[in-house]
Amino acid sequence: MKALRLHRELTAIWRTEPGLRGQLRSVNHSDMGRRFILGAFFFFAVGGVLAMLIRAQLATPHSAFVGPAVYNQLFTMHGSIMMFLFAIPMFEGLAMYLLPKMLGARDLAYPRLSALGWWCYVFGGSILIAAMLAGVAPDAGWFLYPPLSGKTYTPGINSDVWLLGVTFVEISAMCAAIEIAVSILKLRAPGMRLDRMPLFAWYMLATAGMMIFGFPPLILGSILLEVERAFGWPFYAPELGGSPLLWQHLFWLFGHPEVYIIFLPAAGAVSTILPVMARTKILGYGALVAAVMALAFLSFGLWVHHMFTTGIPHMALGFFSAASTLVAIPTAVQVFAWLGTLWAGRPQLKLPMLYLIGFFIVFVLGGLTGVMLAVVPFDAQAHDTAFVTAHLHYVLVGGFVFPMLAAAYYWLPHFTGRGRVMRLGEAAFWLILIGFNLTFFLMHLTGLLGMPRRIDTYPEGMGWTWLNLLSSVGSFLMAFGFALFAIDVALQIWLGRLHKRNPWGAGTLEWAMATPAPAYNFASLAVVEGRDPLEDRPDLPAVLARGDGWLGHARHGWRETMAVDMVSGAPDHIAILPTNSWLPITTAATLGGFFLSMLAGLYPLAPLFLVLVAMLGWRWAWSNGQRRDFGPLPAGPGGAMLPIAAETRGTTGWWGSVFALTASGTLFASLLFGYAFLWTVAPDWPPPQLIARAPFELVLAIAGAVVAAVAVRRGQWPAALAGQGAIVVAMVLLIALRLPAPTSHAYAATGATVAAYVIFHAALAVVMLAFLRARISAGFVGGQRQGEPRIVRLWSDHAAGAGIVAALVIALPGWFA
Amino acid sequence: MIQLLRMTAGLFHWAVAFGVLYGLHGIGCSAGWERSMVAGTSLHRLLLVLAWAGGIAAGVALTRWLRRTAGAGLLDRIAVLLGWVGVAAVVVGGLPIVTIPACL
Repeated sequence: MKALRLHRELTAIWRTEPGLRGQLRSVNHSDMGRRFILGAFFFFAVGGVLAMLIRAQLATPHSAFVGPAVYNQLFTMHGSIMMFLFAIPMFEGLAMYLLPKMLGARDLAYPRLSALGWWCYVFGGSILIAAMLAGVAPDAGWFLYPPLSGKTYTPGINSDVWLLGVTFVEISAMCAAIEIAVSILKLRAPGMRLDRMPLFAWYMLATAGMMIFGFPPLILGSILLEVERAFGWPFYAPELGGSPLLWQHLFWLFGHPEVYIIFLPAAGAVSTILPVMARTKILGYGALVAAVMALAFLSFGLWVHHMFTTGIPHMALGFFSAASTLVAIPTAVQVFAWLGTLWAGRPQLKLPMLYLIGFFIVFVLGGLTGVMLAVVPFDAQAHDTAFVTAHLHYVLVGGFVFPMLAAAYYWLPHFTGRGRVMRLGEAAFWLILIGFNLTFFLMHLTGLLGMPRRIDTYPEGMGWTWLNLLSSVGSFLMAFGFALFAIDVALQIWLGRLHKRNPWGAGTLEWAMATPAPAYNFASLAVVEGRDPLEDRPDLPAVLARGDGWLGHARHGWRETMAVDMVSGAPDHIAILPTNSWLPITTAATLGGFFLSMLAGLYPLAPLFLVLVAMLGWRWAWSNGQRRDFGPLPAGPGGAMLPIAAETRGTTGWWGSVFALTASGTLFASLLFGYAFLWTVAPDWPPPQLIARAPFELVLAIAGAVVAAVAVRRGQWPAALAGQGAIVVAMVLLIALRLPAPTSHAYAATGATVAAYVIFHAALAVVMLAFLRARISAGFVGGQRQGEPRIVRLWSDHAAGAGIVAALVIALPGWFA
Repeated sequence: MIQLLRMTAGLFHWAVAFGVLYGLHGIGCSAGWERSMVAGTSLHRLLLVLAWAGGIAAGVALTRWLRRTAGAGLLDRIAVLLGWVGVAAVVVGGLPIVTIPACL
């Protein structure tokens, strides 16, 4: 009876409201996870149809199926959709759904941020799809190289659609990265030390870290290209001191880690599913964690291997070739750990295992051709041929799609609470495996015979005809396989019979709950003493459902979950999560207004939407916190007492700000890298006109930064505001009075962008300081509740630090000239 | 967090060393250091070799420190392992300095 009462009380607090209103306001992680997965699968289907059109075009020589203009849109949209609208959102969805359950928590750290990410994904993806239906889809390739993507060669809005649509979707990815990192580090079950975490969480932690460092260079590159297209600031135009190679650096600084960002979550799923299928424990937990961390770092040293034929000096190519071959080692460590696990266990050839076998075959082949392409002389021969297309599909389909299919069959009983209906999954597997290899293995040969990527037609007599025809046949076989998979899943959802819990006998916590999962996940939180808590205590689901773990109560209508010490997993405080809200969808829609006004060329309108976003952000932050101290509250068995988040340090809010600023700092560092790169490499440097000497602005910026940093620590809010204001004034003066016109040369454009970055952050700090003042007046800050000033200090210090760096970087060239 | 930073210190060190070598190489080629000869080799290559050797030495020192201050836990063992991984990556990554022309 106690379990039933607790279930009703917690459901009332955590549930999604009924009807359309409920769907629009929901912030629950299970809802968001399911939505991301379904949305990603929808985009996968769209991308798949585009792939079939591409293969129809290439099936025969001199094909007139589509013309070159449409064909360019087809392959650009296929690549863009699969990378940005399928792969990343798919693993985000899986992580959002699974992580809190695996970690023994009730939700992610920022539920409203998950929902904001979802709506940004929907709106940004819709812009791309609408453009495609209107015939103005991006057509310069999924990596959008200038000058082809510049205003001269793409005068329409095709490139703008990519730059604005993808950047809109990337907001979603950044939200997810911060959310996942903080949730893994802070919101775990009591006792779940870092070295007891499920391997999937380690993989996702590495992935989230990579996204925090990997996405900002692309966001920066996209902003610069859009500003060049919209306002004529010449970052990539060599005739005015820019360089198209800067785009390639910024893009691949994101683009190569991106391959591992996609692979690692899938590898995390493999490391979770494979030992269960082999009925044993994973071999080499520590070695796998080390390999994942090594991969996460080393993969940032490979980006130039996409630029081996751009004329970069040989020694630099050698640096990147060495790193590209090195990265194979931690990948191999994982493969051998998985093979060893299979060897040590008693594998069962159940359906998820079948897809894992497909993963091994396809991914290892893709890895081997990757090592071939890491070697400069081979790459020089195979560059921009169908061989590269074949390689990347082996890596991405092998390293992501097959593991995701295995994950789908493994966790579907958790999503649905139901079993399979027919054995369509096996037939789907063989169609996908055979179709895939027929398509892409032969494409290696087509590439080695010299067929370039992205050509819309080819003559007879090149020796490519029968290879292309068979590749096209294979692609349609593969498509039938995916259609069967979709039917199989649909049948299970609607017609499957109710299934027992934990059908695989897994030991991880996500199976210690009813399936489908209740809105609150666990009626009380488990105490974790090993890596397989459910295997250690088979009665755990009943114990937790009775409320005999931590936080086994409903109180004040609060959505409570446990925050722990990052390393030891010791209970630290009670996190109180926000409830359902209109804010995520309205904020995303307002951001959409900004992106659409940019796309339509209504530039004066765009800043108004940013002001609206700031107002919504104010409202968002205002709804957090408490107006009085509660002191330590009952939290666990044996009368354990813990404070709530507002009354402690090291909260999820503080850590989220740390990671957000890390991402922003990475963007700033990428901008400074671009400035140094252009100065060192681009033609027409030093620039014909340097900045005028600016002693006043330099002193004003540095003095403002020092005043802001000191005042914010002393709680002198007017002085802190004045300091930030001085930084803004100094930067505006530098742009308006001292720098040459930004349209005149890349030097001036880059300097003005550095100043604009600081203006944005200083203005943000001003808003946050004003917000803090209002919060103090309203009683949200006081007594033990001192968390908000610490967060504002982080943002204020970042703006001040960036102000000093920017002032020196912008002003000093004029000084020394 | 300190434990996580210790765990990844060797890899952070590799990232810094890699960035320094790549940056120094680019600046040297741009500034024409290849044409200045010092002790029978170019100033450019000499600086790169010094930076490479310094990176290796710093990596070894860091890893030895990680080992000296390590506890018995798994994360500490991983920290030392990844320290040596970082050193090995700096060694292998810098090999082109002594085998390939700098600015061709």
